[in-house]
Amino acid sequence: MNSGIKRTSVYTIISVVILVILAVLFAFPLYWIVTGAFKTAASINATTPDWFPKEWVMDNFNKLFSRQTAPLWELAVPFGSKFSADGKPIVFSAGPVVPAAIRWLVNTVFMAVMAMILTCITSAMAGYALAKKRFRGQTLLFTLIVCAMALPKQVILIPLLREMSTLSLYNTIWAVIFPTVGWPFGVFLMKQFSEGVPGEMLEAARIDGAGEAKTFIEIVLPMIKPGIGALAIFTFINSWNDYFMQLIMLNSTSKLTISLGIAKLQAENSTDFGLIMAGASLAAIPIIAIFIAFQKYFTQGIAMGAVKG
Amino acid sequence: MKKTVKKVLALGLSLIMVLSLAACGSKGSDEPAQTQETQETQEEQAPAEPAAEETEPAAEEEAAGGDLSASITLWTYPIGNWGDSATVESLIASFNAAYPGVTVTVEYLDYTNGDDQVNTAIEGGQAPDIVMEGPERLVANWGARGLMVDLSDLFATEAGGEIYESVEKACKGSDGKYYEYPLCMVAHCMAINQTMFEAADAMQYIDAENHTWTTDDFFKAVQAVYDSGQQNVGAIYCSGQGGDQGTRAIINNLYSSTFTNADHTAYTANTPENIKALEALYAQDGINFDASINGGEEITLFRNGTLAMAFCWNAAQQTNSDNAPAGQTNNGDTILPMLFPSDDGKTELCGGIWGFGIFDNGDQAKIDAAKAFIDFICNDPGQVKESVKASTYFPVRPTLTGIYDGTEIADTMNTFSAYFMPSMGDYYQVVPGWAEARTEWWNMLQRIGTGGDVATEVETFDTNANAAISAAN
Amino acid sequence: MAKSSNMTSRSKALVRRETRSAWLFLLPNMIFFVGFVVIPMILCIYTSFFDSTMGKDAQDTFIGFQNYVELWKDPIFVRSLKNTFVIVIVSVPVVCVFSLWVAALIYKMKGPVLSTFRCVFYLPVVTGSVAVTVVWKWMYNNYYGIFNYVGKGLGLIDNNINWLGDERFALWCIILILLTTSVGQPIVLYVSALGNVDVSLVEASEVDGATHLQQFWKIKWPLIMPTTLYILVITTINSFQCFALIQLLTSGGPNHSTDTVMYYIYYSAFKLYRYGYGNAMGVVLAIFIALLSAVQFKLAKEK
Repeated sequence: MNSGIKRTSVYTIISVVILVILAVLFAFPLYWIVTGAFKTAASINATTPDWFPKEWVMDNFNKLFSRQTAPLWELAVPFGSKFSADGKPIVFSAGPVVPAAIRWLVNTVFMAVMAMILTCITSAMAGYALAKKRFRGQTLLFTLIVCAMALPKQVILIPLLREMSTLSLYNTIWAVIFPTVGWPFGVFLMKQFSEGVPGEMLEAARIDGAGEAKTFIEIVLPMIKPGIGALAIFTFINSWNDYFMQLIMLNSTSKLTISLGIAKLQAENSTDFGLIMAGASLAAIPIIAIFIAFQKYFTQGIAMGAVKG
Repeated sequence: MKKTVKKVLALGLSLIMVLSLAACGSKGSDEPAQTQETQETQEEQAPAEPAAEETEPAAEEEAAGGDLSASITLWTYPIGNWGDSATVESLIASFNAAYPGVTVTVEYLDYTNGDDQVNTAIEGGQAPDIVMEGPERLVANWGARGLMVDLSDLFATEAGGEIYESVEKACKGSDGKYYEYPLCMVAHCMAINQTMFEAADAMQYIDAENHTWTTDDFFKAVQAVYDSGQQNVGAIYCSGQGGDQGTRAIINNLYSSTFTNADHTAYTANTPENIKALEALYAQDGINFDASINGGEEITLFRNGTLAMAFCWNAAQQTNSDNAPAGQTNNGDTILPMLFPSDDGKTELCGGIWGFGIFDNGDQAKIDAAKAFIDFICNDPGQVKESVKASTYFPVRPTLTGIYDGTEIADTMNTFSAYFMPSMGDYYQVVPGWAEARTEWWNMLQRIGTGGDVATEVETFDTNANAAISAAN
Repeated sequence: MAKSSNMTSRSKALVRRETRSAWLFLLPNMIFFVGFVVIPMILCIYTSFFDSTMGKDAQDTFIGFQNYVELWKDPIFVRSLKNTFVIVIVSVPVVCVFSLWVAALIYKMKGPVLSTFRCVFYLPVVTGSVAVTVVWKWMYNNYYGIFNYVGKGLGLIDNNINWLGDERFALWCIILILLTTSVGQPIVLYVSALGNVDVSLVEASEVDGATHLQQFWKIKWPLIMPTTLYILVITTINSFQCFALIQLLTSGGPNHSTDTVMYYIYYSAFKLYRYGYGNAMGVVLAIFIALLSAVQFKLAKEK
């Protein structure tokens, strides 16, 4: 008994030491990005690594912001380019001109939030129908959804590209958002949650004369709220990191997302690590700030998602 | 509780509506015209416009291009300072002074992902109007696929007639149409870190004045530098296609072989000389086949003193002063540009010819505007020198002289004119199916680098690359 | 008789109403699902029977199953298929085991310590694969990378290892990065799942003299089973989506040793201009994944 306890504590100590080392390794990339962004060119190109900036400089950010520029936002008349005299879109509102990197951040946030909202709304509705309704085509549809769930988007790369071109959505942020929304994982997750809504409650609501919409909004939605939270977080992060669709669908400077922007920076300036680090920290810091600020909700949301799912 | 739910729903619904509106709105702005350059050119024009309106008749007389009105896109690869937005904007500003009705939107490509970006744009139905690159893409790839506009009429101009014949030939597709109008050219060479070579006592193998060396001396020099403690002397980089002309040039020149036959109808990598060169390089201490870097990264490593020589070099690299004074590495070592070593004393350098091609997007107004742009940039006597200077390369017409006179880089450019440009070799990159063949090339180097048998791998390359030729025909 | 037929027609009407309302609920999602997943998939299958390439005058020619036949003769495709499955088969269990181990260690820790650890392991997920790649590329660098620097400093390796440029290591380097960007969410999930395990059950078993291991297998493991299944699903999905790492770090090289089917499709389309061939690959991969998902789902249901 005694030796058992000893062995356990030795095991625990070793484990914790390993854990701390791993934690340092996990935090290192971020640490390196953020410190690297403030290093001088000489320090960053040094063949023996400078673990900490000897001198903090803003050069890299200045360089990043003095590159290309773009308007902060643009709202245009739908299909304006189809009937304007010179084939240009008719922009009725354009934001002040800012460094392109800022615009990329705006694009990325817009994309992730839109994808999140659309996915949550449509998936919650569809998941409820799949879980609580009996209808023709149900089994077939559900099978299709399960099979398509893990499908990588690369599989449909070429047809999707051509489709977006036909819909003249190519090179718009919507070309990235729509396939994300169509991705059936959300429906699957929401179905799992809706299974937990007791049938008696729905029956009671129906007897009370509540319509379908009312039943869904007043009874189902509140019950699957934690699931929606989990899905929202999952979609937001996935869409923020979905480099592939962005790479395929976007190409002009003012349309890029921050991930794509950094990848381009990296390809164009493989020499200039400082600049790339500045771009990378610009990409990482906002979302990490969001994460730390909402950590409680993040973890709760994710965790609740799993308990039910 | 119920009220909040209703509020949330109402909010959600109104959001959806706003969204669908925004969706449409955004669709309109997709046409890649509304980026910063457009804005800027518009701003630049803004003060001029009222004036033009007041004196309308005069304005009509003044500029022939005044009646052209279109919005075109220009995509440039990083060809000297043509990849630098400040430089390109000033060039476009002078174009807009003559053609105020044309707005030019620029996107900057890179050599790592640029091709994929253009290809997806083609499939996405939004190919650029003008793209700036060399014949291997404009002619052999997109031109051969029928995506480009024939530019014969530009060659028919007075300036077009002056273009060197070899350059003109490279701009012509196998169907006899011209898909590129050239602006500038350069001979790609290599470079050594002279300070390191001196420290290793390896300068004795080099004819520094003429920038030449023989194959034997090359290997002796590499060995000497290696023995002096420099573990990495040079790298046969092969992670991708970036800068691949350098690896082809060193291999073809070592024992004087060729890459294609003279008519550019078949690849000839599979010669005893090329095989010998590859085997010799593979066996040489200090030369690594590195599948983790491409040409651009090799240059970075050369500049920061990790490598003692670079196979991917040219005049623009020599005059580059981004991180260190021109002609020096980051830690102040001297960079000496060199011809590739050759056993017969006659080095054939790979050329780069850059110019413009026009994608046929089915809109004649845009094509006309694009041609006007090319004509202005390459042919206008008051403009062309500035355009060439922006590339930091050499003109394609003998009548254009003294471009770099009085600039800081004049001496370097004269050296390159005198010692490197005359060694310009055959421009073979216009073989049909070139894009696929160059992919095969770096794949082959990767296989050799990981221990593949040289003779077998070179044969595989020839087979696959020649298959690409027949597929393209 | 009359009564029962009345019943059936009434229930039929009910069924019809139910079906209609169900599809109305499904409609918004179906627009996106059918429009941007199903239709492209059908087009993908269709094009896979053609020799299709880029170009204005390029005509798609019908070639039947030729693309599929060629696939199995293409060593690069076979290799990339193998790599794809190596990535999935290695990363999924490792992510599960690793995150369970970390979670088991930290879930009893005090609030701030727990959230610090949770946060740190989640960092690579939120940093984003592109930004993370920038650093990893430098760490793996052959000439001045930190792995070679530290490895040589500690005497673990004699010469610089070209991590990403060497066939033997490149794929494992990619998998390592994939792991760091995948474990964040599973750890969060396991921490809360373990925290939810009823303490009285554990205490009761302690009284019965169960060892820690027995406690874990007999009590905790069954209780966290749903979490494990969920983690399996999301990690599988994640591993199949691994594209950015490969495109940005190795472009499938050296010698196609890090090619996955996902990357090879991209490569065939935009480097080799073979759309039909790329689509055929997509179809084959989709079939494999559909089978895998079906099996996974069936297993999950049985449990």
